[in-house]
Amino acid sequence: LTRVSIDEGRALSHATGREATERQPLHRPWVGALLVAGVAAAFGAAMAGIPREHAPLPLIARYALEIAIPQWKLTEPVNEIVYGTRGFDTFGETFLLLAAVISVVVITRPREPRRGYFGESAAGAREQRQDDPEIGFDATEDEARLAERREQDEQASGGTEPARTPDATPLGTPSPETAEAMTIVVRTAIRVVLPILAVAGLYLVAWGFSPGGGFPGGAVVLGVLLLAYASFGRRKISKVIRPDLIETLELAGAALIIMTELLGLVFRGSFSANWLPLAQMLTPLSGGVAQLFSATELLEVGTGLTIAVFALLGMSHDWARDADSDTTDRGGGKQGK
Amino acid sequence: MILVNYLAAVALFCIGLYVLLTRRNLIKIVMGLSLMEASTYLLMVSFAYRAGSTAPVLLSPPAGKTAKQLAHGNVADPVLQNFCITAVVIGVAVTAVFLSVAVRIAQHYRTLDADRVRAMRG
Repeated sequence: LTRVSIDEGRALSHATGREATERQPLHRPWVGALLVAGVAAAFGAAMAGIPREHAPLPLIARYALEIAIPQWKLTEPVNEIVYGTRGFDTFGETFLLLAAVISVVVITRPREPRRGYFGESAAGAREQRQDDPEIGFDATEDEARLAERREQDEQASGGTEPARTPDATPLGTPSPETAEAMTIVVRTAIRVVLPILAVAGLYLVAWGFSPGGGFPGGAVVLGVLLLAYASFGRRKISKVIRPDLIETLELAGAALIIMTELLGLVFRGSFSANWLPLAQMLTPLSGGVAQLFSATELLEVGTGLTIAVFALLGMSHDWARDADSDTTDRGGGKQGK
Repeated sequence: MILVNYLAAVALFCIGLYVLLTRRNLIKIVMGLSLMEASTYLLMVSFAYRAGSTAPVLLSPPAGKTAKQLAHGNVADPVLQNFCITAVVIGVAVTAVFLSVAVRIAQHYRTLDADRVRAMRG
């Protein structure tokens, strides 16, 4: 079906000289509009009655602002709330994040266990050739398979290996760009930016001055890794971005968070209470357990988001055909899934 | 006039909900969900705003104000900022779950049209 519509689209774009655009089917637009209008009216009426900019701060906000310095020696009340006053809430959200990451890992997992996010299908290629030599269906599918092998594998089997960098590609070459890395301009810029970004993110976490500490810090870690991946290509980061390494780090972070919060129960009689001595204000250790929680959260969020994004990027096409189309396809021959 | 922000959040939420209810492309449905998510961030950050307020940082209050005054109403509400910080990170991970489900559906049914994904109905 897809193939037919692609061919039709190509024919159409050839005939009209314009790019064929897909008609966007809608599902019961008038029922949807009516429901949305109802929701908008209800929410709009609710907004009229809620506190505005002149309302006094809620009690919990005032409480947090008053105890941030005396009880935690933290000048950043948002951090005090995330890791202190509402630490239990953050604890729960951490495991919500972990649940989402595990869902991504389970949904995106390939059929065979893997050691890296990219290049794993090369390992099974020999076996595939022995057991199922008649790979391929038609020219479109062969082309798509080759393109995916180039994207995923260490060496593309069958076909020329794409260039490592596009530096030698002349300007004006039609897309798609197949090189693994980006041009020397981008790579030089990223080399300058990456250390600054990484150090700034970790500095803000270490000194507890950034609201949220480990949460934005973890997002910065993901940003650094994605910049390195996009500009230098996957081979440069494959030593660091390995499922076995970052999944272990992720679970170690979760274990450290549980330990940090449980020791409050052991030493102070209350879950997520501060059990560390407080240092001088405006030093890395000033928040006591809040700073420890923030650092472990950095590990948890940074590795968790990295796992989710790279698992999604490393998803390969599942070429197995449907059971009903197998009977008519040439060379399908797969048993039902 | 923070009411404008509140109504903008409602409008964003409704656009996302309309996309969710009427579009059939799964990627667009995920985009609608992300838009609804973003509308709640806007609403929470707007709730946190107080007229003439500063950021909730206790180190050096603005000239003429003491730390005690800040605690009684001249800073933005830090609790709602806390909600946003954690929600954004979890939102990214949840969007990754949606997208990986969409990829698997596209691979299994060879379509992204939600109305064609109905193998259970026979």
